[in-house]
Amino acid sequence: MNYYYVIFSPIEALIASQLEPKAFGAYMARGSKKGSAERLMFAEVAGEFGDDFDWEYAKAKCVTHASGEVKHSVYLSIYRVIEHIPLKQYRNVYLVNKDGSTLCLEAAPYTTPGNWRGYGLYKEHCPVHPFIVSSLEPKALSDYIINDATKKITVPAIIFNDVRVIDFNEKEDTGNIGSMFERDLDHLKDCIATVQNKKDKITKTVDRSFDTRFSYQIIDNGIYIARGKEIIFYPMLSADQIKEVDYDWGRSANFF
Amino acid sequence: MVGFIVIAAVAALAFAVINYYGVKRKDAGTPEMQQIAAAIQEGAKAFLVLEYSVILKVVVLIAILLGVVVSPTSAIAFVFGAVMSASAGWIGMNIATISNVRVSNEARNTKSLGKTLRVAFRGGSVMGLSVGGFALLGLALVYLVFGILMKQVSPENLKFHTNWLGISDIPFTMTISAYALGCSIIAMFNRVGGGIYTKAADMGADLVGKTEAGIPEDDPRNPATIADNVGDNVGDVAGLGSDLLESYVGALVSAMILAAYIYFSRGGIEASLVAKLIYVPLLVAAAGILSSMVGIIYLLVKKVSSNPHKELNAATFVGAGLTIISSGFISYFIFRGEALQTIGFSLGAFSPWVCAVLGIISGIFIGQLAEYYTSYDFKPTQRISASSVEGPALTITEGMSVGMISVIGPVLILGIAIIAANITAGLYGVAMAAIGMLSFVTVTVSVDTYGPIADNAGGISEMAKLHPDVRGITDELDAVGNTTAAIGKGFAIGSATLAALSLFSSYLYAQAGENAVHGADMILNMVNPLTLVGALVGGALPYLFSGILIKAVANAARKMVQEVRRQFKADPGIILGTSLPDYKTCISISSAGALAEMKVPAIIAVLTPLLTGFLFGAEFVGGLLIGTTLSSVMLALYTANAGGAWDNGKKYVENGHFGGKGSDAHKAAVVGDTVGDPLKDTVGPSLDILIKIMAIVSLIAVSIFSKYNLFSLLMN
Repeated sequence: MNYYYVIFSPIEALIASQLEPKAFGAYMARGSKKGSAERLMFAEVAGEFGDDFDWEYAKAKCVTHASGEVKHSVYLSIYRVIEHIPLKQYRNVYLVNKDGSTLCLEAAPYTTPGNWRGYGLYKEHCPVHPFIVSSLEPKALSDYIINDATKKITVPAIIFNDVRVIDFNEKEDTGNIGSMFERDLDHLKDCIATVQNKKDKITKTVDRSFDTRFSYQIIDNGIYIARGKEIIFYPMLSADQIKEVDYDWGRSANFF
Repeated sequence: MVGFIVIAAVAALAFAVINYYGVKRKDAGTPEMQQIAAAIQEGAKAFLVLEYSVILKVVVLIAILLGVVVSPTSAIAFVFGAVMSASAGWIGMNIATISNVRVSNEARNTKSLGKTLRVAFRGGSVMGLSVGGFALLGLALVYLVFGILMKQVSPENLKFHTNWLGISDIPFTMTISAYALGCSIIAMFNRVGGGIYTKAADMGADLVGKTEAGIPEDDPRNPATIADNVGDNVGDVAGLGSDLLESYVGALVSAMILAAYIYFSRGGIEASLVAKLIYVPLLVAAAGILSSMVGIIYLLVKKVSSNPHKELNAATFVGAGLTIISSGFISYFIFRGEALQTIGFSLGAFSPWVCAVLGIISGIFIGQLAEYYTSYDFKPTQRISASSVEGPALTITEGMSVGMISVIGPVLILGIAIIAANITAGLYGVAMAAIGMLSFVTVTVSVDTYGPIADNAGGISEMAKLHPDVRGITDELDAVGNTTAAIGKGFAIGSATLAALSLFSSYLYAQAGENAVHGADMILNMVNPLTLVGALVGGALPYLFSGILIKAVANAARKMVQEVRRQFKADPGIILGTSLPDYKTCISISSAGALAEMKVPAIIAVLTPLLTGFLFGAEFVGGLLIGTTLSSVMLALYTANAGGAWDNGKKYVENGHFGGKGSDAHKAAVVGDTVGDPLKDTVGPSLDILIKIMAIVSLIAVSIFSKYNLFSLLMN
C-alpha cells in the first residue's frame, strides 16, 4: 500500500512511501544511512487527485525492493505543492522530533481561539516562513493572506500555527517555551503595538527567518492549513494530553 | 568499653543486613526493568572487580614495605583498613544496584512518593551503616588486638621505639595510622577511579545523545546510558562511601594519636586519663552510630510526608541531636573527677563534648551554606540561570563567581570551630571537632547514598518506559538527591579539613619525635626556605592533581563521544528504537579510561610526600602539607559549589524559567553544567582524599625521612 505525504517544514514536498506515517516520520528525520537529525512536519494526504502530480509514476516507482524492503520515499514534487492539494485530501498532521519520534494531530472543527487577545502571533511554515503578528484571528488571517485582492502579494494556500504568548512582564517564569521570547522582546512588543494601534496595519513581520528558533512548545492552539476560502484546524495537544498520549515524544520535544 | 564499641559496630552491621534483605526481598518489577538493572549491576561489579584487582597489587606492595620498613603490626593494620574500606565500597555498590530497580518498582506499584522514598532510603542506609560499622569495628578490633592484647596502649609502650633500621615511632600511633592509610588507599582509588568513570560516561551520554541526537536523558537508545547509571554507583556510592569512611577513620585516628603524643610529650599525666583520651573518640563514634540508627529507624517507620527533603533532614537532625546528647553523657561520665587542666581542657569534663558539638554545628552550617550556594531555591543559582539568557560565557562567569564567593563562609566557620576547639581542649579538641562532624556519618552517608539510588531509579523508570506518573515520582526523589549530594560534599570537605589538620598536628608531634617533650621542636618555621618552598609546592599540587583529573575525564569522555557517534552512524535503527545499542562497549570505554587514568593522580598523592620527604626532609613536607591542605580546601569548596550551582542552574531553567528546555538559556546552562560536572564530581571529592592521604602517608613516613633524606645528607 502506498501512502502520500506532504512535508511542509522544513521543505515543501509531496512524497509517496510504503511506510506508515510514524515510520515515515522517523525515516525522514533520521535517514537510513547518513545519520541526520532533522525536525519536520508533514501531513498525510489521500492520493490520486487531480492532474498536477504524476500518480502513475508514484505507483510505478513506489514498490517494494527485490530484497523485500519497503520503499521509503519517492519524491513527486518539491515546490508549489500545497497550492495543488485540495483541503479535503488532507488526513492527519504529524510533528516529528530530531530523534524521529512522531506525534499525530487530528483535525477538528475550526473555532476562534478561546484565548484571543485582540492580536495573534503566527509562525508561517509553507510556502513562506516568517514569524508575524496580526490583528486577525487565524481564519480571518488565512483569508487575508490568500484572498485579499487589495494586496499586491497573496499566496494560494498557507500552513501556519498560532504562537503562545507569554506574560511580557514576567520573563523569568516562562514555562518551557524554547527560545521564542528570549531576545528582541522589545521589537516583538513594538510589532504588537503597531498592529494594535494602526487599524490599517493588519500584519507585521517580526522575523523573516524564524525556523531555527521554532519549537513545538510554542504552538498555541494548533496548526492551520488554508486554501482558497477554506481552513482546516489541527488542535495542538495540551501538555497533560501529551503526557498521556506519548510522553516520550513530549520529552524529546522538551515539553517535560 | 571496647565491648560497647564493638556491640555498636556489630549492631550497625546487623541493621545493615536487615535493611539489605528488606530491600532485596522486594519485587524487582517487570522483566524489562530487571534486564536494565542487571546490565547496570553487571557493569558496576565488573568495574569494581577490575579496580580492586589494581588496588590489590598496590595494597600488597605497601603492606610489604610497611612490614619491612616499619613493623609487621602496621602492615597487618594497613591491610585490615584496606579490607574494611573495600568491603564498605563493595557492599554500597551492591545494595545500590539492588535498590535502584526496586525503588522504581515501588513507585510503579504504589504511586506513593513517601513509600518510594522509604525504599530508596532503606537502600542508602545499608551503605551508611556499613561505612559506620566497618570503620568502627575495624578500628575497635585494631585497638583491642594491638592496643590492649598486645599492650601497645600500655603506658610503658606509649613512647618511642626504635626498629632495626633505626627508625623511631610510637608503635600504637604507627599501627592505627597504618589502619587509616589502608582506608585512604581504597578511598583514593574509589574516588578518583569512580569519579573519572562516572563523568566520562555522563558527559559522553549527554554530549552526543542529548545535544546532537536530540534524545532525552536516560533514554535507552543512548549507548552510554547504562554506563552513565553504572557511574552513579561506582562514583557516588562506592567512591563517596570510601571517602567518608576514610575521613571518619582519619578523624578518630588523629584524636587517638594526639592522645598518645600528649601523654608522651607532657608527662605527669595519669595513665588512666590517657587511656580515656584514646578510647573516648571510639565511644563518641559508637554513640553516633547508635544515634544514627535511631535517625534511620525514625524515617523508616514514620508516615512520610510529600516533602522528601524535609524527611531526610529530619532523619539527619534526629541522628545529630541524639549524638549531641549521648556524647555529652559520655564526656561527663568519663572525664569527671580527672585532673584535666594538666592537658589543657578549659571546660572540664565537658571539654571534648563542647568540641564535638562545635564540629557537629559547623558541619550543619557548612551543609546549609552549600545548599544556599547550590540550590535553585536561592539567589546565587537563580542568577546563574538568569545569566544563561545572555549565553554560555556569562553562565560560566557567573558560576565561577558563585563558586569563589562560596569559599569564604565554610572557611570562616571552620576557622571559628578550630580556634574554639583549640581553646577548649587544645589540638585534641580540634580532632574531637572532626569526630563530632563525622560522628553521625552513618545517617549522612545513608542520605548521600539515597541520591544515586534515586537517580538510578529515575533512569530505570525512563529506560523501561514506565508511566509518566511513576517517572514523576522518581524524578522528584532524584531532584532531592541533587541537593543532598551538594550538602554532602560540603560536609565531606569540612570534615576532611578538620581530619587533615588533626593529622597534621600528629605529624608535627611525629616529626619532633622524642624531642616533642620539649615543645619547641613542634613549631613549623615558615621562614625556613624549605618549609616555605614546601608550602608553595603544596599550594600548587592540588592544581596539578585537578588538572590531571580533568584531562583524564576529558580523554575518557572523548572516547565515549566517538563511540556513541559511531554507533548512531553505524546503525540508524538505534535512534529509531528498532535495534538495541551496544551498551557494553561504552561500559568498557569508561572502565578502561578510569582504570588507566586513575593511576597517575593516585601515585602523585601517595608519592609526593615520600619523594619530597626523602629529598628535602620533614620541614619541607610540613610546608607541603600546609600548602596542599589550604589550597585543596579552597579548590574543593570552589569546584564543588560552582559545579553544584551550574547543575542546579540548568535544572532551574529546565523547570520552566527563562524559556525552559530547548531555549538558548537552556543550551548555555547545559554548557555550564557540563563544565561543572568533572569539577564537582571528580575534582572536588578527590581533593578531600588528597589532603588526607598525604597527611597519613607523611605521618607514617616522617620518622623515616626525618632520619634519611638527601638534603640533610648534603648539608652535613
